[in-house]
Amino acid sequence: MLKKKIGIIDCDFGNIASLVNAIKYLEYDYKILKKNTNFENFSHLILPGVGSFHEAAIKIKKNGIDDKIKEYIEKSKPFMGICVGMQLMFEKGVENGIENGLGIFNGTCEKFSEKLNLTLPHIGFNLVENPNTKIWHGINSPSPFYFVHSYRVSFDKNSSYENTKISKTNYGEDFISFIEKENVYGAQFHPEKSHKTGLSLLNNFAMLN
Amino acid sequence: MISKRIIYALLYSKGQFHLSRNFSLQKVGGIDWLKNNFGFGETCDFIDELIILNVTKNPDEKDKKNFLDDINKLREKIFVPITLGGGIRSFKDAKLFFENGADKVMINYLAHVDKEICNSISNIFGNQALSVMVDYKIIENKVLTFINGGKTKSFFFDHYIDQLNNFKFGELILNSIDNDGTAAGFDDQTFREIPDNIRNPVLLMGGAGKPEHFVNILKNDKISGVVTANLFNFLGTGLKEARNFSINEKIKLIKFESLNNE
Repeated sequence: MLKKKIGIIDCDFGNIASLVNAIKYLEYDYKILKKNTNFENFSHLILPGVGSFHEAAIKIKKNGIDDKIKEYIEKSKPFMGICVGMQLMFEKGVENGIENGLGIFNGTCEKFSEKLNLTLPHIGFNLVENPNTKIWHGINSPSPFYFVHSYRVSFDKNSSYENTKISKTNYGEDFISFIEKENVYGAQFHPEKSHKTGLSLLNNFAMLN
Repeated sequence: MISKRIIYALLYSKGQFHLSRNFSLQKVGGIDWLKNNFGFGETCDFIDELIILNVTKNPDEKDKKNFLDDINKLREKIFVPITLGGGIRSFKDAKLFFENGADKVMINYLAHVDKEICNSISNIFGNQALSVMVDYKIIENKVLTFINGGKTKSFFFDHYIDQLNNFKFGELILNSIDNDGTAAGFDDQTFREIPDNIRNPVLLMGGAGKPEHFVNILKNDKISGVVTANLFNFLGTGLKEARNFSINEKIKLIKFESLNNE
């Protein structure tokens, strides 16, 4: 059994400092991973991000991090993407030009619909449904999490989302705020910025085997 | 739908936090003072976000480094969103803030002078990560914007707002120099001059003195949140009271579970 050690991928986009603080606070062993680090030695992997999809996608591909993430996921170890890190796990993004993501989940990350005439970006606390999975243990449904984004993957009523658990959040329309499939987790919101509830979610993730 | 936001702002310069009244600053204490005397961690249970501004004039490299070192100490056990600002003149300045725990960076002067740098920040970090603050004063019934810590007139307000159409940014914070530090309430008129084509979140700063002030502004559909930097009124239990009062008055705000009372 691998000793618990969380790898936090630093692709030079965004704010990893807060996530590092949260993992420290929860008292887990961790390491910040640059492009040349071997991911295999880690029991859990997190890809955080503040940034635009286009830039982030190009960076992870240029560094070969996309393939390393895919290899890691195939070994059934827990992986979580946060914000842009979550968006990158879908097929495609359109922010600042169309770019392909990792394609682990089906869907395209697009801007909230202009037709809805929303205040954008979507910034602040909004409610997320608890899909009753292990990582949501002990968290109320719905619970408030912090969002800061203009692009989202909309929730498709007609999709079956096979073997996938989805949490919806409403901002003029339903969008996917949390997604999980087997050992892969994605949060559009920032658990590391969401007070005690966010720390509970991160702690549950770290507890997964 | 999304909830409204109550944001706390700290004004920092050279190791000290400051109180501001009509933009003149008064030192009140350092980080230890803030942590020890005001239970700062507990205060954070009652805010949606924290803004920390380095208000040092023309900060040199050492000032910038000390600011970030102090912020890193302050935010160790704080799990709320943080916006950092003050003295951003280049993409590199902004990047350094993101690397030191900023979820968003705030610009003021730069939005007056360099569209290219502003857009280079939003192209890499996303529009949502660039907050724009504008300082303004009302003189003979005209709203004028200011730079240089409220000392230099820049534009008529409507012109300033018009030119924002050239920028990729997230939220807009209107900071009233007239109301700053007066505790007399927010300016509830100027934001109405913002045309409907500006769809960005609008926040007001300057003048919060009591819980009713928050409610009066937050009930307006055009306003996403309010910012207060009033250290003495709102540190300790002040923000808790303001938040609970606002929730009782049916303002859509989250009641956070406390991280500190376990």
